[in-house]
Amino acid sequence: MTTFLQFLVYGVQLGSVYALLALGYSMVYGIVRMINMAHGDFLMIGALSAIFIAMGFSGFMVDGRYPFYIVLAIILSAMILTGLLGVLVEKIAYKPLRDRPRMSSLITAVGVSMFLQNFPRALPFIGPQPRPFPQLFPLIQFRLGGVVVTSTQIILIVVSIILMISLDAIVQKTKFGAQIRAVSFDKDASLLMGIDTNRVISYTFLIGAVLAAASGIFYASIYPQVDVYMGSWLGTKSFIAAVIGGIGSIRGAILGGFILGITEILATSINSNLGYGIGFVILIVILLIKPAGILGKTEIDKV
Amino acid sequence: MAMLEVKDLQVSYGAIAAVRGVSFDLNQGEIIALIGANGAGKSTILRTISGLVKSKSGSIRFADKELTKTPAHKIVALGIAHVPEGRHVFSGLTVLENLKLGATLQNDEARKEENLKRVFSMFPRLEERITQKAGTLSGGEQQMLALGRAIMTDGKLMLLDEPSMGLAPIIVEEIFENILRINKNGTSILLIEQNANLALAVSSRAYVLENGIITIEGDSKELLVDERVKNAYLGA
Ligand SMILES: Nc1ncnc2c1ncn2[C@@H]1O[C@H](COP(=O)(O)OP(=O)(O)O)[C@@H](O)[C@H]1O
Ligand SMILES: [Mg+2]
Repeated sequence: MTTFLQFLVYGVQLGSVYALLALGYSMVYGIVRMINMAHGDFLMIGALSAIFIAMGFSGFMVDGRYPFYIVLAIILSAMILTGLLGVLVEKIAYKPLRDRPRMSSLITAVGVSMFLQNFPRALPFIGPQPRPFPQLFPLIQFRLGGVVVTSTQIILIVVSIILMISLDAIVQKTKFGAQIRAVSFDKDASLLMGIDTNRVISYTFLIGAVLAAASGIFYASIYPQVDVYMGSWLGTKSFIAAVIGGIGSIRGAILGGFILGITEILATSINSNLGYGIGFVILIVILLIKPAGILGKTEIDKV
Repeated sequence: MAMLEVKDLQVSYGAIAAVRGVSFDLNQGEIIALIGANGAGKSTILRTISGLVKSKSGSIRFADKELTKTPAHKIVALGIAHVPEGRHVFSGLTVLENLKLGATLQNDEARKEENLKRVFSMFPRLEERITQKAGTLSGGEQQMLALGRAIMTDGKLMLLDEPSMGLAPIIVEEIFENILRINKNGTSILLIEQNANLALAVSSRAYVLENGIITIEGDSKELLVDERVKNAYLGA
């Protein structure tokens, strides 16, 4: 039982990383009906930029550790930087193709992904080799019964959940959220309401990339190694999570992320090969039962 | 001077010329009708006025501003409210959310409340259903919502694309009574209808569109007894 609970903690932790990343796939799909194949790479850019920003702040270290406000500054600047990159990618690569056949933007996204992976790889100060990720969060261990939980895990899980609840509240309750939902349902009708749909789409990419950066920083805080390819396989899994939950749905992405994270860890505890494939098994089973994913209805509630 | 002035308007979809040199105008406070068979280019004209489709050539002037180069969401700000063919309500959003989206550009809260009251007084059924998702409304209620949303934009000119389409006669009557009320409150109306009898009954002037060209124009009363119009559109 305690081993199960211990694995559950790891599962929730990985699940929050998947969920944060899955949100971007889902929101972007909801609003422009495209699968942003480069979305996972924003996770890598987020983690990588945090490394370099942290290096820039190294003068502020006290006893080899960053003070709280510096950690906050590092994370926020990495998130903003990645968010702006997301907006830029949309403007330059996707927007010109918005009214073209789907295949064009899909291929373009694959190209963007390759660029985001290989451009930093080619830069001499980054390069292809994995880099260690700085320890940003305190690592105090707590024992609850036989289960060990670290302060890092608690921070990551709590902050992720706060981010997800805030996003859901923004989309469901605010005027801007209503605009996001309106554009996802009907772009022309949104224009006729006076909504600047291009601006709404830009903000959606911004939010997606900001959350991807957060998930990258959190992932790297657990497995402190960053390389240019990490976004690719984490992205694939989070995309699967988004589809399991029902792509286009915010709550679906969150649910799918946690389902995938938890089952993956539990399966890995049985057999490490099982862990890697379990996502696909769940995906296939869910899609056979509910082709639109768990919370994916044909349209309603979609972002 | 005319409130809306369309001159030599041409619009194409790729190689298909949908509107081939159309000119007409509308005066402040007027209801004018655009009638014509399916595919004549009526919706295309409205979509070009509201900026959803770009023109190939010609001009559209509204309150002394040129619209052909203006993006759609800015045209709404100038005071044009377009109720599109097929209603296009936001199906997954509630009735109230739909109406509030109509007031996206409205900064005057008091005015927004006032408009909302106007909508509910015209269409009490919408008020009874404010928390219902728009996609679950009947066709008639969706048309009321689409009109309500347009009222919320506070436009000076309303473009109505086949508001009677697919609705029972009694609902059509209710909707047209309210269209006349909207007009009495000072909103000019450009109306498209397949139901030419109805369109000519409520409008002061009308234009007949055939294959992207205006072939007949005049006072609606005169068109009602015009042999060509009667044979082609009034089922006489
Ligand atoms: N999105 C579109 N793409 C290509 N052709 C279109 C499109 N919309 C309309 N058309 C064509 O333009 C012509 C005019 O259509 P439309 O303006 O919808 O006519 P109406 O509203 O009078 O029925 C028709 O031949 C129609 O097939
Ligand atoms: Mg039409």
